[in-house]
Amino acid sequence: MSEDGMTDLQEEELDRADLIHSEGGHVLSLMDATIKFGGLTAVNKVSFDLSRGDLFGLIGPNGAGKTTCFNLITGVYKPTSGEILFHGKSVAGMKPNQIAHLGICRTFQNIRLFGALSSLENVVVGGFLRHKTPLLSSLLLMPSAVTETAELREKAMHLLEVMNLADDAHTRSRDLPYGKQRRLEIARAMATDPSLILLDEPAAGMNPQEKEELSTTVRRIRDEFNKTVLLIEHDMRFVMGLCEKIVVLDHGEEIAAGGPDEVRNDPKVIEAYLGEAV
Amino acid sequence: MASVTADSPVKPGAFWGTRLLSIVLALAFCFGIGAMEGSIPPFAFRILVLAGLYVTLSVSLNLINGITGQFSIGHAAFYQVGAYVTGFLTINYFDGQPLTAIPWLVIMMIAGAAGAGIVGLMVGLPSLRLRGDYLAIVTLGFGEIISIVTRNQKALGGSYGMQIEPKIQAPWLVWLLAIICIAVCRNLIKTAHGLPFLAVREDEVASSAMGVNTTKTKVTAFVIGSAFAGAAGALYGHFESFITPDMFKMEVSFIILTMVVIGGTGSITGSTLAALFLFGLPEWLRTLKGADGNALQIPAPQVIAALFGVVVFVACARWVRDRYHEKGMKLAGAYGSAVGIAVVASLLFRPLAALIPSMAETSWEINSLRMVIFAVTLVVVMLLRPEGVLGHHEFSWAWLRSLFNKKNKEVQA
Repeated sequence: MSEDGMTDLQEEELDRADLIHSEGGHVLSLMDATIKFGGLTAVNKVSFDLSRGDLFGLIGPNGAGKTTCFNLITGVYKPTSGEILFHGKSVAGMKPNQIAHLGICRTFQNIRLFGALSSLENVVVGGFLRHKTPLLSSLLLMPSAVTETAELREKAMHLLEVMNLADDAHTRSRDLPYGKQRRLEIARAMATDPSLILLDEPAAGMNPQEKEELSTTVRRIRDEFNKTVLLIEHDMRFVMGLCEKIVVLDHGEEIAAGGPDEVRNDPKVIEAYLGEAV
Repeated sequence: MASVTADSPVKPGAFWGTRLLSIVLALAFCFGIGAMEGSIPPFAFRILVLAGLYVTLSVSLNLINGITGQFSIGHAAFYQVGAYVTGFLTINYFDGQPLTAIPWLVIMMIAGAAGAGIVGLMVGLPSLRLRGDYLAIVTLGFGEIISIVTRNQKALGGSYGMQIEPKIQAPWLVWLLAIICIAVCRNLIKTAHGLPFLAVREDEVASSAMGVNTTKTKVTAFVIGSAFAGAAGALYGHFESFITPDMFKMEVSFIILTMVVIGGTGSITGSTLAALFLFGLPEWLRTLKGADGNALQIPAPQVIAALFGVVVFVACARWVRDRYHEKGMKLAGAYGSAVGIAVVASLLFRPLAALIPSMAETSWEINSLRMVIFAVTLVVVMLLRPEGVLGHHEFSWAWLRSLFNKKNKEVQA
């Protein structure tokens, strides 16, 4: 690739860098985000802001609209009203793949790996969106495509090492044990090089020790890789120990927001969770 | 056998050497095919050429159905578009000047690919934007539309057919196209560019969250697959020099689809071998001669007994496999014992079948049985190995080497 002639992709890359670095403000802002499915208002006027480097928790009882919130942010659904700003730019109504290009990536509550592909290949799919060579050069097996493939695999391998999955790099992801699949999902999301990463119940089904390790990993993602993290979780102890800011949803509405201690003692939250030790 | 997921990517470096070698080998193979004309019976040669076309068709359909996971069942329609577009062009615009026959045919191949590719884009774009089985319905309908249009267009010869003159035959080009098709699909899944295609097959929601433009990926696969079918159609039209709508009926689509499924959806090696086998088998059966030099006659009781044997084989193989394979019995052993039991059962059954009076005197010509044999083969494969003979596996030189190394090690030990 020549040094002065800039390709479209490189320009796009610079745009993205501008978007991320120029704004001193919030990474993500939800402003009265609302979505209605027929008569049901799944998310009703939810507003919160994430600053760079936040470890932000989104909690609430079952059916509170947490995952729907994620789907709004990642473009699976378009908000009925309200606005979603990513680094000051509106992403409401954009397609999921466009949003992933801008730098938001997510994991799924019910694990959605590419089952027949190996762990490494799963992560390469994540890293692929920053590829530069055109399809034709791959079809003709040009050296540029081969080199790029090798580079992407190397990057993916590095991420697998970070997530402690290097030994399973060539295992079919379908054959991995549950805990590793969860970690692989995070590795795959990290591979897209997002500035904001959304984790949908990352600790679901894990034992206490695994949860402890996961907390450490999530902190590393924030501290070493400079990502902003937004996570949904049911396990209160996990969220309270990890997140610095928390928003509580119930029936699609925001009922409380603040630090762990504030939220823990909020009567509305206690009522929503009724009986659960908060 | 190396799996697609066994991570055996093309390594950078030492690149042009192996590449030139493969290109030279491919060209040598194609000219070898061309040189065989005249030295083997015309009938066999014709089969060889058509087999090459079917390899192209099945590998290109595999790109759509197997690799990208979109269910297209109208591949013959694109084959037909390629044949008719280029047939029309040749009839109206070819006069041998300044282009001679072979360069014209190469251009026609490209024109057929372009025609079918454009039609593929028009069919694929609306139906592939949606998730689900819409493509199957649309391609099914599209096959019928193309068939009806060609039947009713005077300019395209109507249902009588279209005479393409002059007849331009280039068997080497047929095989070159097949090799190009295999190479393109293989290159795709060996480089990072192929992964989004596989990812779309595995999970569309997750792949779009990972930044994959799913519509674009699916349409790309569909257009490339259709274009190869169109190129094959162009060569077919000029090879036969007479095309009718009946040559591209729905059955052709289903045979191509069968090749992909039997070979193993997603396996390029599988669809290549399945195309050769499933196209070759009925044709080979057609050539079988009895002792008197006429077409082979098979007594009815023997046929019935053989079918009975197949049923016993499938039942036994499944039973033995499910029961003992888990406990460490080798698959070969399981299938071997099933074959043994089936042969015995079939031999014992034969006299019973002969007891039926009208049955004993009847005998059937092999020609009328060949589609039965074809069908039975499919049923057996589907019952014993529903993922296709090769599953997701792929032939690779590395696999061949590892096989030899293993043998050597065993010998040393």
